[in-house]
Amino acid sequence: MTIFLGQAETVLREGFIYSLMAMGVFITYKILDFPDLSVDGTFPLGACVTAALINGGINPWLALLLSFLAGSLAGSLTGVLHVRLRITDLLSGILVMTAMWSVNLIITGKSAILQFFNRPTIFTWGVIRLLPDGLYRHRYVVVTFLLALAVKLLLDWFLRTKQGLLLRSAGDNSQYVISLGKDPGTVKILGLALGNGCTALAGSVLAQVGENADVNSGKGMVVMALAAVIMGTSLFRRISFLRSTTMAVLGAVLYKACLQVALQLGLPPHYLKLLMALLLTAALLSQRLSGKKGEKSLA
Amino acid sequence: MKKQTLKKALTLALAIVMSVSLAACSGGAAAPSASAAPPETQPLKVGILQFAPHPSLDNCYTGIVQGLADAGYVDGDNISIDYQNGNGESETNNLIASNFVTGGYDIIIAIATPSAISAYAAAREAGIPVVFSAVSDPLGAGLAETLEAPNTGATGTSDSLNLEGQMQMIRAFLPDAESIGILYTTSEPNSISHLAAFEDLAPAYGFTVEAVGITDSSEVASGAAALAAKGVDCVNNFTDNNVVNNLSVLLNATDAAGIPVFGSEEEQVRNGCVASETLDYIALGVTTGQMAAGILDGGDVKTMAVSVVSDSKPVYSAANCEKFGITVPEAYANATNLDE
Repeated sequence: MTIFLGQAETVLREGFIYSLMAMGVFITYKILDFPDLSVDGTFPLGACVTAALINGGINPWLALLLSFLAGSLAGSLTGVLHVRLRITDLLSGILVMTAMWSVNLIITGKSAILQFFNRPTIFTWGVIRLLPDGLYRHRYVVVTFLLALAVKLLLDWFLRTKQGLLLRSAGDNSQYVISLGKDPGTVKILGLALGNGCTALAGSVLAQVGENADVNSGKGMVVMALAAVIMGTSLFRRISFLRSTTMAVLGAVLYKACLQVALQLGLPPHYLKLLMALLLTAALLSQRLSGKKGEKSLA
Repeated sequence: MKKQTLKKALTLALAIVMSVSLAACSGGAAAPSASAAPPETQPLKVGILQFAPHPSLDNCYTGIVQGLADAGYVDGDNISIDYQNGNGESETNNLIASNFVTGGYDIIIAIATPSAISAYAAAREAGIPVVFSAVSDPLGAGLAETLEAPNTGATGTSDSLNLEGQMQMIRAFLPDAESIGILYTTSEPNSISHLAAFEDLAPAYGFTVEAVGITDSSEVASGAAALAAKGVDCVNNFTDNNVVNNLSVLLNATDAAGIPVFGSEEEQVRNGCVASETLDYIALGVTTGQMAAGILDGGDVKTMAVSVVSDSKPVYSAANCEKFGITVPEAYANATNLDE
């Protein structure tokens, strides 16, 4: 039973971490209708920036924030390539993803893995130490849950502001944005910045769990994030009181749970990617069968 | 209406599969804990995490199992070995390491640096000892404070290439060669440090080193072609995971240009290289297995010194040498011919 609980904790922890990225991809894919491949590069960007900063003595929470900003910068680059230079959405993402490979290696000083063992992380520094002993043992789940909750609430609030409305319209109906006197292109760049900022945030948190950053940790992230978002939004669509951001979070947790269950049932690890593809296909099919493919989920 | 029912059915099916799996999972986990009541002959759980399917690492694993058996720990008897391969992906490696830890394993053995780091990060807090194998730079990887007394919760074996021996061999096999080509992956720290050391040694043996750096497996072909175009007299391999994994691609380019390749390990010689001052990865594994056994016996992982292995032995392939018109020099007449 303890093994099951331990694994459940791992699933929750991983699910909450990846939900940060799922929420980011939710913005770019669902709201802006932009298939953003740059997340494969911005996820490890967050990790590498965090590792470099923490090794340099920067406070881990500040490192978290700076990773978000780094991701936003990369995301806005994707936006600029698409909006100003008129490169297609797919290619803009690919260009930034490719560039990030080098940038990440530059940040880590050419090594594939940069470790920061024994340095303060968000799980060991500051207010976390004040937790009572029982909670402290489960601090990974607690902190990642709180982070996911905070980001979710911030996003929900943002999407209800005027800027958020512009964002939702830019993907749906850019004429409306123009009629308001705003430039839909700028709004798209903002959306991409936000989405990739969240992705880099996820990478940062993951790095701080393992106390090391891996430049290869981004491979296949876009598939994972899309699977989480699509699974979440199609499975939980019926439950009307759930906001779309919550659905993205639940989708990420569910996705991680599927992988864990598969491994538990004895699936050899090299089949995992096939399983991921099957899960994503099943989620896409269930979405299409409901006949609601064209509808955007508005919070 | 049909679409609606189909969608509902799909959702329901997915939900059922999930619940059944979770139930089966928890049911499965409950059963062993019920039968755990008599504690005397519970086999110790040994988790072995290998970074990628790669002949040198496979040899390590073989050695580890043997080393454990030599010390009295036999799989299926007093230990149960869970051997997992991370397929070269960090996400999979982390997941497996995490499962070992939540599964309450008694010891984790990790083969190659990235797996060692994943295992160490996951096992640290739970206090599960980690024994690593084939990690070229344990200090740089943060796995040990000093080689004599790691003091971290991890210890193991470190493989260090005998670069000077390799260079002597190249000089002996190719007395007239002037340049050695190196293909390496820029994100592998072992390759960077080996390259630097190699370049330092080269002048003493009358060689210049031409290095071409690549970043991943898709660039091996173009990197090899670039080396061939530089007109190097031979090529030498380090323990670069990317290059060794794609050896056949490298050999394609060098064979076509008539350039012999010296390998870093005997498997590479079997697969087309002419010769090598090889580390014996099976022996490395055996030492690792014995260290792991020492810890299972009750040894302290914090004070068990890291074992650095650099003994090499020369091996060659007569057939491959002949392909390039190389005669095996007298000094290496007693070296092992892998063709036999």
